[in-house]
This record gives sequence, C-alpha cells and structure tokens, in this order.
Amino acid sequence: MISRATLVSPSARSLLRDPVLVLPLSVAAGLGLGWEGRRTGVPASLVAVDVALSWGLVAASVIASGRARWRRPRLLLALAGMLVLAGDLEWCGSAGLWTVGLVLQLVWLAVIVQLMLTFPDGRSWSRLAVITIAAGYLAALVGGLASALVSTDSRDALSILSSQSAEDTIGRIRAGLGFAVLLSTIGLVVWRLASSRGATRRAQAPLLIGAVLAFPLTMVWLGHQALTGQDPSTVLTAASSALIGLIPLGFVTAIGWSRLRRTQASDLVVELRTAGERTLRDRLSRALGDPTLQLAYRLDDGRYVDESGRPAVLPERPGRAVTLLSAGDEVLAALVHDPVLLDEPALVESVRATAGLVLENERLAAEVRAQLAEVRASRARLVAAGDEERRRIERDLHDGAQQRLVAVCVTLGMAAGRADPALADMLRRAQDDLEEALGELRALARGIHPTLLQEEGLDAALEALARRVPLPVSIEGSAGSRLTPAIELAAYFLTTEALTNTVKHAGASSAMVCLERSNGKLKVTVSDDGVGGAELAPSGGLSGLRDRVEALDGTLSVQSSQAGGTTVSAELPCGS
Amino acid sequence: MRAMPIRVLIVDDHPEFRAVARELLEEAGYVVSGEAAGAVEAIAAAAAQAPDVVLLDVVLPDGNGFDVAAHLSRDPSGPAVVMVSSREAEDYGRRVAGCGAAGFVSKSRLSAATLASVLA
Repeated sequence: MISRATLVSPSARSLLRDPVLVLPLSVAAGLGLGWEGRRTGVPASLVAVDVALSWGLVAASVIASGRARWRRPRLLLALAGMLVLAGDLEWCGSAGLWTVGLVLQLVWLAVIVQLMLTFPDGRSWSRLAVITIAAGYLAALVGGLASALVSTDSRDALSILSSQSAEDTIGRIRAGLGFAVLLSTIGLVVWRLASSRGATRRAQAPLLIGAVLAFPLTMVWLGHQALTGQDPSTVLTAASSALIGLIPLGFVTAIGWSRLRRTQASDLVVELRTAGERTLRDRLSRALGDPTLQLAYRLDDGRYVDESGRPAVLPERPGRAVTLLSAGDEVLAALVHDPVLLDEPALVESVRATAGLVLENERLAAEVRAQLAEVRASRARLVAAGDEERRRIERDLHDGAQQRLVAVCVTLGMAAGRADPALADMLRRAQDDLEEALGELRALARGIHPTLLQEEGLDAALEALARRVPLPVSIEGSAGSRLTPAIELAAYFLTTEALTNTVKHAGASSAMVCLERSNGKLKVTVSDDGVGGAELAPSGGLSGLRDRVEALDGTLSVQSSQAGGTTVSAELPCGS
Repeated sequence: MRAMPIRVLIVDDHPEFRAVARELLEEAGYVVSGEAAGAVEAIAAAAAQAPDVVLLDVVLPDGNGFDVAAHLSRDPSGPAVVMVSSREAEDYGRRVAGCGAAGFVSKSRLSAATLASVLA
C-alpha cells in the first residue's frame, strides 16, 4: 500500500521519518526571511501571509505524519512550505539570493498542483493530470528562469538580455499558462469529488474542497498579470496566498474528521456487541463507513466463507485491501475493504478489537451454515445418484428380462396356433398369465423410473398416470417448459404416491392434480374428495417423498381434515 | 388376399425378438425382406429393400424409433410402419400418434391377427 517510496531521495526520506527536523528549519527560515523582508521594505501583510503559509504547510505535513499512505503528499506539503520561503529570497539584499528567489518564485504553486493531482498515493489521477502537473512546472521553473535571463532589475545575477518588453511578454505567457494549469486542476478536483464514493470521498473531501476554494483568487492574480503585464496589488497578492492556506487546513481537517469518526465508531462498535437484526457485516460496514466491505470467515481447514456459508475468495487485486481479524495466533476472519480505510488505522483497529468478541460466535455460525450447505449439496447428490440408479435398473429390466419374456409370450402364441385344441387352450392360458406378469413388470418398471417422464416431460407423464388410475382424475395447469430431471421426478413421484393413497384409503369419487409454475417455483397440488384424516406418518411413503422434496430445497405439506378431503402439495424451486 | 406376399423389414436391437418375429411372420405368410438392429441401419435397409411394412422397435441403440418412423412416413409411397415395444403405448404418450406410424403393437401381443388388424 505504501507506493513509490523508492522515488523519494534518501535525505528527503530521513526528513520525512523525522518531520520534526523540518519544523525548526521552517521556523528559522521564516523568521530570518521575515526579518530580512521587513528590513528591505516588503509590506508587512505579504511577509506575514507568506511566513504563515509556509509554516502552515510544514505544520500540516508534521501533523499528518501518522498516515503511512500519505507519505508522498506529506513530502510535497513540506516541500511547498519550504519553497514558499525560497521564492521569498527575493526579499534579500543579496543579488544571488534575489535571483534564486526570482527563479523559484512560483515553484511552490506547481508543487501544490502536483500534491492535489497525485493525492493520496502519489500516482497521477489521469493523463490530463500528468499534463497539468508538467505544465505547472514548465510555467514555474522554465518561466522563472526565462524571466531571470531577460530581467531589467539591477539585482538580477542571471540577466543576459535586459529587455522590458521581453520581460513583460514572458511574464504574461507564464501567468497565462499558470492560469490554465489552475483551471485544469480545479476541473480535475471537481470531477474527482463528484466521482468518488463512500470512504474515499470522506477521506479526501476536505482537502479537495479546500483546493477548489483556494485556487480561484490565485487565478485572478495570474489572470490580472497575464492581461496587464503588471504585478497585481499587494492586497490581492497577500489575499491569494492566504487563501492557499485552505489546502493545509483541508489536510488537517481530514485528519481531525477521522479522529472524530473514531469516537463515533466507538459507539457503533458498542452496538456490535448487541446483536440486532442486521448482520455483523452490515454493522462493521456502518462502523467503518465502507458500504463495499465484505466479511469472510476462516474455517478450520483454511477456507473462507461468507456469513451464509458460501465459499469466499480473498481478492489479490489492487483496489481492495484485506485486514485479518484474529484472536491470539488464530485468524478468525478477514475484512475485505476499500484501501482508503488503511488511512485510518486506529479506526480499523478499534473495530477489530471489539469485533473479536462477537466474531468467534459468528464464525462458528458461518461454519455451521457452510456444513449445512455441504450436507444439502450431498443430499441432492445422493438423490440424483439414486435417480440415475433407478433409470439404469428400468433400462436393464427393459433390455433383459422383459425382452426374453416377451419372446416367450409370442412363441407361446405361435405354439397355441399349431397345437391341438386341448393343448392350445392350455398354452393360451399360459400366454395370458405371462402377459399379465409382463403387465405387472411394466408397472414396476414405470414406478422405478417412468420412461414417458424422461422422454416427454411432466405434463405428458401425469396425463398418462391419470388415465391409469381407476378414478376420475382431472389435471389443471401445466409445468410449462422442461424442468430438471430431479424436479420432474419429485413432482411425478409425489403425484403417484398421493393418487395411490387416494385410491387405497380415501374412498374418493374423484381427484384433481394442479400444476402451477410461477416466481421460479413449481407448485404441485393433489387433492381428493375422500374421507380425509391422512397424515404424514414418519415411515409412510409421503415421508420419503418429503425427504426427496426437501433435498431439492422444496417443501411438502399435507392437509387433511376428519371432515373429509385431503390435499397434498409440494413447492419446488425450479430456477425459472 | 393380395397375389404378392407382403414384405416386412424387422427393426429391433434384440436378436431373440427378431428371430421369434421372423418365425411368426413367415408362418403367417409374410416375407421378411430383412432385419436391422439400429436406426441408421433401418433407414438404409428400408431404402434398399423397399418393404411394404416396417416392424419398428421404439428404443434403438443409436436413436429413437419414432424419429425413424417420422422419416419413413415422409415418403407417401414408403412402407407402412408398425411400432412395437415391450412397453405399452401409453408409456410413450402422444408420440405414438404423432410419428406417422400406422399403429402400435405391444410386443407380447404380437400375432398374425394383431398385425393384420393394424395394417387393415
């Protein structure tokens, strides 16, 4: 998460590690230059504003020293602070220092532009941001150097072509370019503000708003210079510099906000312990202010699952950060969140500390849910394997015993045709018996796995079933398009069992099968006008069907009153 | 009675049924033009032998008898198709009526009389 640290020079890095060193340097330089400025007649307001701005920038850098991810912006803040004073070397009597001041006069502003457009991780937001930053340095450094080369001022040590008109032209081009750079910067910042969400927006808003408010007056200052070629008034100069102070102020505000939020988070964390209706993930998400937050529990075997027990994978892509939550040495869970939260380590830490108390329970619950999901999946697999076995047995019956018996039956018929009447009669009786046995075998095969269901679907299979039942059975509705074999079999077996019970026990005069498919569910209802009093006996056929239906995440119910009539219905989720 | 005997092609993947069917048909005065054990073989044999009747099993190892029947029925001068199966017609629902076959005979009830009634 700490990026590009290698790009920072070793000396600057040591200054950053110990920013306190920058502070006395800035104070001393500010006091020295202020004293020198007053001595050479610089207006007090300018001296006060520049020294205050410099100290403000450096102070903000020091205050932000706890933010690991803000290392780069902090460097730029401190650098800008020191460069404000470098530009003020113009206040010195010495020609050499005056010239350095002239060259570096506006570089601090270019550094601020870079700070804004690379916030917070040091990477440029976009190609336009890179161009804007480069144009800023071009205007400030090259423009400053060009000014020094043509300046008419007697203190200029670099002047090689003292020309008032060249000095004016360069000054106006430079100011015009600076104006464009700030305009582009404001545009990019506003776009960034509008497009960021959640924790990112919260973390960056104070600084970005500070920039939007700070730059316009400096743009007026640059615009005035570009249009008139004249230095603007002291009041405008002082006011525009003073307003830039909103940027370090924004920095400090962002830090103050997160401290405030930590207190708020403590309250929310207390709420974590009093489990409400919302899930732990929702409560953590609210406490941390990250709507994208995901919570993954670690199982004993090292896998991660979400709260409902579904497998979860910890991301390894940039743009998501992972914080592990542990008790002792054992990792209990992982928070997958917006990396911006890493800017608020104390906030995350406070949530982590409190969450640990409830986490173990929640993790165990997630583990149970994961096991439950596995059991359900294996139950569905068992049913599917059983169905496949039934299909195979039906096929074996058809191809084996049935074929041989059929051949015998036909042969008996032929033999009867050739035999004398007495023998023929005996052979035909044998053929009739065999045909009856074959009929029973067919019914058995159909009960094991109905061919018609597999070939033609539920509607056709139920119509055929209704014709075979020795009772008027009406069918209402339709299963619609084909369903999975498991759903079709469950619905078929349910109807078969219910109608068998009706015929055997209900003494009904008619029965009705109703199919209804809506909202991703198939509802099968079998009702009769019989004597009623049916129930789901633990060892009954319907009880076995309930297991089959529940293996498919469905429900089965039996309604039967002593007054008469029985309704067996099942709801099966079928996807569409 | 027709002067020419009726020529029948037997299509079934079970050789024991083909044998008993051949015996039954020949005894009843039919001529068995040939036998086929699969759907592809059946279509080729029907084209080559131009039988008057095809006795066609529903379940074939390389396809479905109903599809073969539908294919053969497309030719108006083609053979009359009689579906046979060890299952019953109601096990196959509407497909029996929709495949273009002249009729369906359950294998165990196959005899000269049932065949003649279907072809009548």
